[in-house]
Amino acid sequence: MSQPILKAKIQGSSRREFLFGLGASLGSVALTQLLADETGSTKSPHLHPKAKRCIFLTMEGGPSHIDTFDPKPKLAELHLKEFTRSGKRKSAMESGKRYYVQSPFDFHQVGQSGADMATNWSNLAKVADEICFYRGLQVDSVNHPTALYQLNTGNRFAGDPSVGSWVQYGLGSENANLPAYVVLPDVSYPQGGAMNWGSGFLPASYQGTALRSQGSPILNLDPPPGVTGKMQRTNLDLLNRLNQSHAEERQEQDHLLARMKNYELAFRMQMSASDVFDLSLEPKSARRLYGVDQEPTNSFGRKLLLSRRLLERGVRFVQVYCGTWDSHDYIHRAHGALVKQVDQPIAALIQDLKSRGMLEDTLVVWMGEFGRSPDNGVRGGVAYGRDHNPKAMSVWMAGGGVRSGATIGATDETGAEAVEEVHHIRDFHVTLLRLLGLDDNRLTYFHSGRFKQLSQFGGKPIESLIRS
Amino acid sequence: MDDFNLLKMTLSFLVAIFGSLCSGVSSDEGSWSDEEIQFAVSVHPLLVEKCFPCHGADSNKIKGELNLTSRNGWLSGGGSGKPAVISGDAGASVAFFAVQRVDPDLAMPPKENDRLNASEVRSLKEWIDSGLVWVDEADRLAIQKTHSSGEVVLTSGGLSEDWSRRSYDPEKLWAWRPHGHPIPPADPFDISCHPVDRFIHQAIEEKGLKPVPRSSRAHWIRRVTFDLIGLPPTNEEVEDFVSDPDLDPISFERVVDRLLASSHFGEHWARHWLDVTRYADSSGLANDYARGAAWRYRDYVVRAFNEDLPFEEFVTEQLAGDELHDVATADNESTKDPEWLMASGFLRMGPWELTGMEVAKVARQKFLDDATDIVGQTFLAQPLQCARCHDHKFDPIPTRDYYRFQSVFSTTQIADREAPYLKKENLEGFEEEQVLRERLKRFEKILADLKTKEIEAGKLWAQERSLSYISRAEGIRQGIDDSKLPPKNVGFEPKDYGMERIARKGMERLRWELDRYQPYAMSTYTGATPSRNSIYTPVRLPNDRSKGEWEETAILTGGDPFSPSAKTNPGGLSALENFNPDLKSISFPMTPEGRRLALAKWITHPQNPMTSRVFVNRVWGWLMGQGIVKSANNFGSTGSLPTHPELLDWLAQDWISSGRKPKSLIRKIVTSETYRRASLDVKSSDSDSVEAGSGLWATFPSRRLSSDELRDAMLAVSGDLNFEIGGIPIRPEINMEIAMQPRMVMGTFAAAWQPNPEPARRHRRSLYAMKLRGLSEPFQESFNSPNSELSCERREDQVTASQVFSLMNSRFTYQRAVGLALRVIKEAGLNEEKLGDLDVEEKHEIVQRAGHIAYGRRLEMWESQALLDHWDAMTAIHTENDFPKFKYPLEVTREAAEENTGEKFSFTEPLEFYREFQPDPDMADVAVGVRGLAEVGLVLMNSNEFLFLD
Repeated sequence: MSQPILKAKIQGSSRREFLFGLGASLGSVALTQLLADETGSTKSPHLHPKAKRCIFLTMEGGPSHIDTFDPKPKLAELHLKEFTRSGKRKSAMESGKRYYVQSPFDFHQVGQSGADMATNWSNLAKVADEICFYRGLQVDSVNHPTALYQLNTGNRFAGDPSVGSWVQYGLGSENANLPAYVVLPDVSYPQGGAMNWGSGFLPASYQGTALRSQGSPILNLDPPPGVTGKMQRTNLDLLNRLNQSHAEERQEQDHLLARMKNYELAFRMQMSASDVFDLSLEPKSARRLYGVDQEPTNSFGRKLLLSRRLLERGVRFVQVYCGTWDSHDYIHRAHGALVKQVDQPIAALIQDLKSRGMLEDTLVVWMGEFGRSPDNGVRGGVAYGRDHNPKAMSVWMAGGGVRSGATIGATDETGAEAVEEVHHIRDFHVTLLRLLGLDDNRLTYFHSGRFKQLSQFGGKPIESLIRS
Repeated sequence: MDDFNLLKMTLSFLVAIFGSLCSGVSSDEGSWSDEEIQFAVSVHPLLVEKCFPCHGADSNKIKGELNLTSRNGWLSGGGSGKPAVISGDAGASVAFFAVQRVDPDLAMPPKENDRLNASEVRSLKEWIDSGLVWVDEADRLAIQKTHSSGEVVLTSGGLSEDWSRRSYDPEKLWAWRPHGHPIPPADPFDISCHPVDRFIHQAIEEKGLKPVPRSSRAHWIRRVTFDLIGLPPTNEEVEDFVSDPDLDPISFERVVDRLLASSHFGEHWARHWLDVTRYADSSGLANDYARGAAWRYRDYVVRAFNEDLPFEEFVTEQLAGDELHDVATADNESTKDPEWLMASGFLRMGPWELTGMEVAKVARQKFLDDATDIVGQTFLAQPLQCARCHDHKFDPIPTRDYYRFQSVFSTTQIADREAPYLKKENLEGFEEEQVLRERLKRFEKILADLKTKEIEAGKLWAQERSLSYISRAEGIRQGIDDSKLPPKNVGFEPKDYGMERIARKGMERLRWELDRYQPYAMSTYTGATPSRNSIYTPVRLPNDRSKGEWEETAILTGGDPFSPSAKTNPGGLSALENFNPDLKSISFPMTPEGRRLALAKWITHPQNPMTSRVFVNRVWGWLMGQGIVKSANNFGSTGSLPTHPELLDWLAQDWISSGRKPKSLIRKIVTSETYRRASLDVKSSDSDSVEAGSGLWATFPSRRLSSDELRDAMLAVSGDLNFEIGGIPIRPEINMEIAMQPRMVMGTFAAAWQPNPEPARRHRRSLYAMKLRGLSEPFQESFNSPNSELSCERREDQVTASQVFSLMNSRFTYQRAVGLALRVIKEAGLNEEKLGDLDVEEKHEIVQRAGHIAYGRRLEMWESQALLDHWDAMTAIHTENDFPKFKYPLEVTREAAEENTGEKFSFTEPLEFYREFQPDPDMADVAVGVRGLAEVGLVLMNSNEFLFLD
């Protein structure tokens, strides 16, 4: 099928759907390129964008703000003091006999900005001035999958599109050879599973593509061992003959053509995509910077190095999971071990993006689904951990358009609740979209009787996080 | 502001005050000025909808200190100190500038979707230009009563008087009105006397188009077989029909009746229904526990369709089957029916759990909201959630109605109830329980070993402190001081914490799984809400159903269960009752019992026009590619209008008069000429013809097979499909990467996905494949199988690259292709090792066979030749290639981060079902010639002719 014919076929009202659906999907590659002269595969943002792409570091499980970026000296005084909490809005986890827990970590102020940071983040301290710390965020849910769903989709209950899907829906794809929204899960999938990167009620092509760390990075991207490219080419040739003959009587049926084209594109992608995943193409210095090939940074370092390669090649939204930060007990060991795994790679990513001139239009987000409580339940012995806390958390952003070198908002003296510059997560979502040039109120999709949006019912950007 | 404008403003202000004074004293009807009428009828409702939500409706939440609920508010402005409008001069008014959305940062209302349409902008302009005429409430209501062009709908009452009095576009209230009694028009084309065709043809003719010719018999039988039973027709069935000498209606009806009588009919239609009701075999959320008894609800639905259950019974049993059962039990009737308990699983199909980490009341409310909304969507095509926090923005559903509806469920409690197996249930495969019991023992042993380790370490601990050893648990019981007791988990290494948790949680999870093999039904009962903080084991029926809180439903402010306001009693949608007064004869009891039975009566009342329209429309959509109302789950004003409202009502009426059985409705539709159209283009010189033809059914919409149909068709083609009906969920082979992917659930990892060891068992229809909310099966997912979170009215068929990867590269496809190759060789009575000896004729016969099986038709000569050439070419390539044999694992080692310590540890999970696994023949297992032929099969199964229905 020659290109002009295909072009002619997709005129008319279905064309928009055709483009948006395919343009964003994994293998739509050349189809979008084919039409690029007409419409382009990227879509114009609503507002002036400060960032073009985003890497979302998802610290699954809920990292403790009190033990990372929001020191609470008051807790040293209260340490192990017992009290009882009740309340009809409290879950069993939060109620009953409680005791305060001081942070086992030391803190210092780093960078020109004097940001607070636990001392075990020794690498991140070096790039502290690139970061905007935010302590005012609150969420609705006190439990994991619902809170993680809310972080990812704005809705506590699964089934809505994830942030990455919305961004892809709003901005389209910059590199049709790669998925626009890529997810790098941890060894195990988080609670709630793949629905955390689902496209919800948006068309299926907007869902995140989870890359695998072992074997073929994309499921079934490679044929089974034994099948060669030559075999596939021969198969595709026969397939084309059969499909062309079938399509001859069905000239107006776009979906048949789309499907035929899709095979060619997928085949090409299969042949060419492996490059981007090959970290051995990176110089030794870069591998060393990210902590690749050394423990305990190897696994997360590889993910972030791969992320940079993806971002560089036009992937719009990369989400990297790390967990679990759900340290109900022994937080010193549990958080300590995790920080060792992520501190160097994250600092490396920021440095690397900066030296490539990419930091200014790349948004880096670090957050978990909630913060942690200043106190713990008495669960058989004093194991110094913390429970979930939806009322206080620390998140940070760096890069594209954020007010770097600032610490915004504050929590109360024990870190139990945000008290300054307090915002619901919907406002954070609106802010994130705003930085990418998208207006949450305009980024909507009609489903189940109403136009739905990431913030659910609208929100406002947190202006104090945005560089003026 | 310059002096002129100031003067103008002052003047018009005075005029307006004078004006409103006048209107205040005039009470004669008919003495209203045009501006006053305009304000009351058009402008004020617009302000209520677009402005007041942020500027006055809620005095606690006024944006920018701008209160627009009075005329003065518009003139004095808000926090900025500037007036929102200049009376008499829209062009100079900030508010008018804002609604035109010239500057996105100063656009009002803020949401793009709330933007004013052109006529609304015009109304606002005229209102400002003519001096902001304002009419107070009493007069406004009086004017609206006499002058409103829209329709005011009487309801149980909104949260505000303005909402109650607002008017609706009469056209958009179509779903609420009683059925019309349309008479099928004459067929303008004189082709058909079938009522469906007469309505359809009339609309086609009105567009100046003509229906396309009939499809061929071969195309039609493939279409109707997939549409009715979800499977491809056999070659014999195709040939019998194509060569049937009987005349048209007779031979066509014979096929339809055969399919309607097939027990696969119920399977396929259950699939549709289960998409709407969100069937899954697990709970989703944090635990994603197995729902052991869910399969019995699934099979109930299969039987309901197969047995052609009248719709009122189908609805009643799903909404209130447990009440039917309990009434029958109380009356000592012998008819008490376990099936009723299975049916009532409907209310529990949504994702739900109660963990200790969440607030019990919030979780309970989530169940109630879910039940309310899903009943609304499923039976009435009204997503009721829209009225949970505020009166419905577009439809006549006040929040009060939402909570009236919810009151019906306030005494509904969940329980897995004993329900003896019926003869008609399939109890095959229960022996797999033994494997799970073995797993249970393994966990028990891990815990016992750790206990021993703890005791040993405890003794050592005591010895080192010269204390006498006493176990921690026993010590706490005796009130011994903590410092004299060995610490919890003394002697544990990081891995031990991990293993303890894995074993303990593993046992907890198995309890849910083992229910699969016990005679329980996922059901409900009527009773008080028990007090509990968490649910970690399946819930059984309590001895005392009145223990707990008798919930009294109230309107919840903002949907918050901790903010109740006015109490509500059980009831239906008040607007529907006012449009259809017969519904008022249904009384909803105030007693705990019988509320759901009453709701079922209300929903299935023959005079309830929505219910039958909704179901008829669903059936039409499942057969005809899209509903007469496209939005099958939403008949509200934000949904689509019916393209053929008369046909819809005619079908609904006809269905009611013939006893509301699904089969008669389906039969009616598929025996029409409309269902027999070819899926050709609408030929016309007009370039818009295709667009104009969509939704007209001048041509039949072609469609791709659904994910379920596709997998089943591939299994049918390879000769592997097991046609058995019903039973516990089966587990097909899925991508090993996903099967072994560690998946976090609360406190542990979900068990690996293991396929059934016996090919026949795992090769059952996709309907029976275990559906876990936390695990997306890649093949199903890539072919747009819906998730089980949201009700799915219609499956997508979007093209994505992952479909190519799934269908070209997956082991599943290769296995099917090898299966097909082996099948044709066997059916031809040949030896797979001696394919090289065949002559050309024999080879043609082989590829013909393969093509025939895949496409249901004889191949054309060029096709046969092309396939033959391909076979030869691929055999030649394969001669040089080796296929490594796939190795099935017997265990999987998991690397995990221990939750308590953050330290990595690994553990081994035995894969018990692989011990006796019988693999499907794969490329590595067959001779080179078979492989070459399998490549032919692979291409056939990837081709559009295989995937699409004409």
